[in-house]
Amino acid sequence: MLEGLKAIAKGMGTTLKALSAPRDTYPYPEKRREYSPRFRGKHMLGKDEEGHELCVGCGLCEAVCPAHAIRVVAAEAPADKPVSWTNRYSIDYEVDLIRCIFCGMCEEACPTNAVRLTPFNELAAYDRESMIADKQELLHPAIRK
Amino acid sequence: MIADAAAKLGIDVPVYCYHEALGPLGACRMCLVQVEKMPKLATACTTAVSEGMVVHTRGPAVDKGRKGVLEFLLINHPLDCPVCDKGGECFLQDYTFQYGPPAGRFEEPKIQKVKDGPINEFILVDQERCVLCQRCVRFMGEYVGEPQLLLEGRGVETVVTTVDHEPATSQFSGNVIDLCPVGALLSVPYHHKARPWNIEREESVCTLCPVGCTTLATGRDGHIVRIEGRPVPDRSWGWLCDRGRFGFDFAVNPSRLITSYLEGREEAAARTTRQVGQWLRDAVSQHGGNSVAFVAGGLHSTEEAYQLNRFAREVVGTERLAVSRDVPGYLPRGLNGTFADIDDADAVVLIGTDPYESVPVVHLRLRDRARALPSLKLMGVAPRSLSRETLRVDTLVTHVGQEAAVLAAALSDAARGHAVLAELVSNGLGDLSGIDGEALAELGSTLVNSEHLTVLWDGLEADVEPVLVALQSVRGDKPTRVLPTWGPSNWRGFERAGFDARIESLTGILEDARDGKLQMLVLWGADLLREYPDQELVRQAYARVPVLVAESLFPPAGHESFKAILPQAGPGEVYGTYVNMEARLQVAMPSVQPPGQARPTKTYVTAWARAMEKPFVLQEDWDPYDDNSGDLVPEESVPREVRPIAPASSAPDGYELITGVLVIENGIPSDFLKPRVPQYPGRISPSDADRLGIRNQAVIKLSREGREMTAAVAVDPAMTPGRIYMPLGLADAPVNALGTGAVNVTVIEEVHSA
Ligand code: SF4
Ligand code: SF4
Ligand code: SF4
Ligand code: SF4
Ligand code: FES
Repeated sequence: MLEGLKAIAKGMGTTLKALSAPRDTYPYPEKRREYSPRFRGKHMLGKDEEGHELCVGCGLCEAVCPAHAIRVVAAEAPADKPVSWTNRYSIDYEVDLIRCIFCGMCEEACPTNAVRLTPFNELAAYDRESMIADKQELLHPAIRK
Repeated sequence: MIADAAAKLGIDVPVYCYHEALGPLGACRMCLVQVEKMPKLATACTTAVSEGMVVHTRGPAVDKGRKGVLEFLLINHPLDCPVCDKGGECFLQDYTFQYGPPAGRFEEPKIQKVKDGPINEFILVDQERCVLCQRCVRFMGEYVGEPQLLLEGRGVETVVTTVDHEPATSQFSGNVIDLCPVGALLSVPYHHKARPWNIEREESVCTLCPVGCTTLATGRDGHIVRIEGRPVPDRSWGWLCDRGRFGFDFAVNPSRLITSYLEGREEAAARTTRQVGQWLRDAVSQHGGNSVAFVAGGLHSTEEAYQLNRFAREVVGTERLAVSRDVPGYLPRGLNGTFADIDDADAVVLIGTDPYESVPVVHLRLRDRARALPSLKLMGVAPRSLSRETLRVDTLVTHVGQEAAVLAAALSDAARGHAVLAELVSNGLGDLSGIDGEALAELGSTLVNSEHLTVLWDGLEADVEPVLVALQSVRGDKPTRVLPTWGPSNWRGFERAGFDARIESLTGILEDARDGKLQMLVLWGADLLREYPDQELVRQAYARVPVLVAESLFPPAGHESFKAILPQAGPGEVYGTYVNMEARLQVAMPSVQPPGQARPTKTYVTAWARAMEKPFVLQEDWDPYDDNSGDLVPEESVPREVRPIAPASSAPDGYELITGVLVIENGIPSDFLKPRVPQYPGRISPSDADRLGIRNQAVIKLSREGREMTAAVAVDPAMTPGRIYMPLGLADAPVNALGTGAVNVTVIEEVHSA
């Protein structure tokens, strides 16, 4: 009998200790984890101070991507309407986020520091189509809700 | 040279300025190697190989030398790779990666030069990226003979630019894009379009003229965006003319047929095809197979012609198969030479044809030969002078229709008493007054005495064929080879596939159609109103034949007469073999899908066979190659007997209309090429222009026996008085409306050049 009570008390003790111990889980989505700024989440395309796109459509990110997730179509900008900081720019830029393995090779290959992986990692969607991020989406990176 | 020897052994020696076709220069110093017993590094491209020589292509000394050269080259080189079209296929990138220094030591600001400046409509120059190898300058100046590029300035300020800063006009200008080892000379249509890793590059063949140059077609996202030359070892350097290099956009031209038309209205492809099948079935069941005729032409491949031929013979049961022809001449296979015959020739005779205009890259080949063999005898027989800045040709200028008689006269003179000649000229030579006797004797001795004779012939005069046969038998064992310069570019392939390429069978079909003996005429890529020499006959045939059907890339002339028009899948969209003027079979791989409703021939003929309820199995693997003849169409023996030629008629009074092929204007539209297509394609001599009161350009009316046409002509000092030249096959001024020969001329409007 006494043995049984002892065991219960020990068990309860452990439970109570654990109740007040710091937690490893988060009550997501009410509370979110802070990630390191180097976390490799969804891509973005950067702009310079004057608002010109940094991407020049060189296609290096496309070439280096081991998952073939990136598609770049370059074009020449009209002389009076520059899009990027030079006369070449990407008229079309897509990242297939289902294919992407978030290795960060594109970021590393980019000579203009245009494509960057942000810490944003909330990538769920209802269909595959919306998992392909187009250029507009990448130029206006999502901010955490 | 050491560089060649190394290349042959598969040893990598980096070069910029050296190109086998251009010869050694030693300008870039990239090719440094170490030769034992030589005190310093030597340039591999200028040092001849000799017995017992020991060469090191790597090693500390060589690597140091290359490193230094590259560091110098990069001093003023912009950091442009991400925006440079050459990026990924650039020799400066490759060599720097392989041999270059890890970093430059130069810290001053780089010199700024012109970026993306124009060389002409097709080419951009980025002077900052140039490594001053001079390949482009030497190609244009020495190889083509049109020195329109030059180096300007000195030292670090040296730049490549055009003479007087005027756009380069040569039709071979595009080759400098392939030649430039770096991204200094760029193609305008390809500018900022793609990268080597996101394109499909397929081996292809240019089908725009009978030369059939080997190309690489770059496809990107379902469109062809670039054509490059493809060198074939020991056969071709991979040069192209601008027509072939930049004229690829015909595939996306707005006037291209991509839907089917049934009785003038747009209709679903399936319905149109079914209806044509129904017509075929009715014609065959009511009037027999021979009431249907097929004419092949245009840019079809040999396989497509073969499929059509099988369908026509087996399912329709007709023997009326012809090739669309715009000139009456025919060349027996046995006389057909190859380009190697140009490289081996000690005499070349041009009959009627101006290679620069009709077979551009052959012109380069001729020039190459003329430079290698200064004693090359280059003669012409034509109604106009064939001489140019770039190629001196002693032309015997004849009147229209006298070429065969002049050649026969020269031949009879030089080989007097030969048996075949008596037969050849048994109808007499006719009136050859005005032909210079001395020139005739020279032509005769060239024809008979040369060791290796190569003839280029434009086919405008059918009687030249028996003269060539006679010439061959007079010359006996000495090679006599002929290269035909007429279209359609794949006519020999159509012949290989089973079509009759002689004009007589086409004429027979048209006459029967005119006389109401044909029920149905199917034109397979052929645009007869524009092509066939007698437009009136075509008109009458079109009006009379009950069912006229065309399959074509572009709406054929007189499209109101057609009951059905089907869109064709073009070269680059289907796998196909094309036979060029050497009778050489060359394969072109598809790089894109046919647009819209355009379908390959096979789709149409199998659908029709189904509509006709006849069994028809197309062998998948018909192969136009022959086991014994390599990539040439099998040889045939040359016919022995010659038919007598018609005597030359006397020179007509007044003006003579003469014609010829102008590849840039050969009827296949291209928006890129538009600025190059002359607005006044016709030509008239200055003295005639004076007489007619024309100063520079004019629109004139040519007429004969009630028929007339208008022609836009420009004054050309090279023209012989009394002749008016109009290119063949212009859509808005078809020479075949009149035919060549004497015409009356009235000036409608004089146009002063700006
Ligand atoms: S994002 Fe960077 S690497 Fe990718 S195409 Fe643009 S500039 Fe090139
Ligand atoms: S020429 Fe070559 S090295 Fe120079 S910018 Fe272009 S790709 Fe880079
Ligand atoms: S433009 Fe190109 S081909 Fe011409 S000299 Fe410069 S690097 Fe050589
Ligand atoms: S020469 Fe003829 S085949 Fe060669 S590129 Fe020009 S058009 Fe094409
Ligand atoms: S390749 Fe030998 S010096 Fe240029």
